[in-house]
Amino acid sequence: MLLHLNPSSGVPVYLQLEAQVKQAVAAGALRTGEALPSTRKLAAELRINPNTVARAYQDLERDGVTRSVPGGGTYVADGLPGLLKSEKVKRLRPHARQLAVEGRQLRMTREETLKLLEEELDKLGGQA
Amino acid sequence: MSEAAILTEGLGKSFGALAAVSELNLKIQPGAVYGFLGRNGAGKTTTMRMLLGLVRPTKGSARVLGLDPTRETELIRILERVGFVPQRKQLYGWATPAELVRMNKAYFPRWSDDAAARLAQRLEIPMNTAFKKLSIGNQSKVALLLALAQGAEVLILDEPTAGLDPMMVDEILRTLIEDHISQGRTIFVSSHHLGEVEQICDWVGILEGGRLLLESRLEEIRQEFRLVIASGEGLPVSTSTDLVSATTDGRFQRYVVAREAERFAAELRTHGATILEISPVGLRELFLHLVRKEDACTPGNVGAKAAPVSSFS
Repeated sequence: MLLHLNPSSGVPVYLQLEAQVKQAVAAGALRTGEALPSTRKLAAELRINPNTVARAYQDLERDGVTRSVPGGGTYVADGLPGLLKSEKVKRLRPHARQLAVEGRQLRMTREETLKLLEEELDKLGGQA
Repeated sequence: MSEAAILTEGLGKSFGALAAVSELNLKIQPGAVYGFLGRNGAGKTTTMRMLLGLVRPTKGSARVLGLDPTRETELIRILERVGFVPQRKQLYGWATPAELVRMNKAYFPRWSDDAAARLAQRLEIPMNTAFKKLSIGNQSKVALLLALAQGAEVLILDEPTAGLDPMMVDEILRTLIEDHISQGRTIFVSSHHLGEVEQICDWVGILEGGRLLLESRLEEIRQEFRLVIASGEGLPVSTSTDLVSATTDGRFQRYVVAREAERFAAELRTHGATILEISPVGLRELFLHLVRKEDACTPGNVGAKAAPVSSFS
């Protein structure tokens, strides 16, 4: 697994780790059942405190991205429907904000803006 | 948690009228990787030397693994269980690393030949060159090899990466993590390289003028500490104990608060302040804010009074 950190970015290292694992899962670079490196191994590889890795792994398990087998490692959880809900919302929010801001600047009413969005969704058809 | 790996209570050392270390209360838990930060001359080395019985405290007490370094019999047991990498390596210059390994192993009941051989190979140490002829980097590696092969429970490292190139620093960090930290062992390390400290440490203490300004989990600094920049005239320095530092720059005030930054900002607003920014504060920034005194908006940096903010949970 190719993980990289930017210690000076201001984003806590464990959050960077979590985000990258989630992204790798979402992008299919990590597949269901695939093993993640052990805490120690990853810590040594990335030159970070093992507690930091442990923290990220805990959060990933809590979010259902991974599951850990007692006494034997961490694996990508199965049956993950693509991106996690929280991840989806996080990615979509900037676009929603953009739409809201532009709509407001063009003096569109709330209903008009929402209608536009609905029309675009309708055009896609298919799923609910 | 069991007994602290390193514990000091009111520890002090004066050289004549000069107080090198004052009223130092450190509590370093077993398994912690504790970054000991401070400017040159802040008292870091003196503190380390007191823990190792090399300097006698003039006040207070110190315990290392529960043992008192000022008592001869206990000091011997400390030295068996603690590895020290000093900044100035005082090893026999004429001896080769291979000879140093042979000399050292006799003193340490838990010495591991396997570890010594493995580290010599991994760190690419020229084992048959006289110590004094080695580069600074290689000298550091030899000192580290000796400390790790001794099976130390606690490593005390005084600027272990000073003067090393990035590649060597990287190797040393890797070795520390693989051979020591991953085994749940303790490190007490001083360093000016705050990036490295942020990578491997989980605790930091900031020393200035012989006093501890701040001691905290690094995690807490990342999650709770915030830099609040405000503008306004005659803003009060809050009496909040969560205030770590306050500095002024013309009409702008910079505050570092240890928790509840939003509430702090709201309080400033009631005094007519405009809040320009609330942002996380990196270790480097925190360090500079704490030790920078010349532009403090109060007599002396209030941080000197606010510490410690730590809590052992």
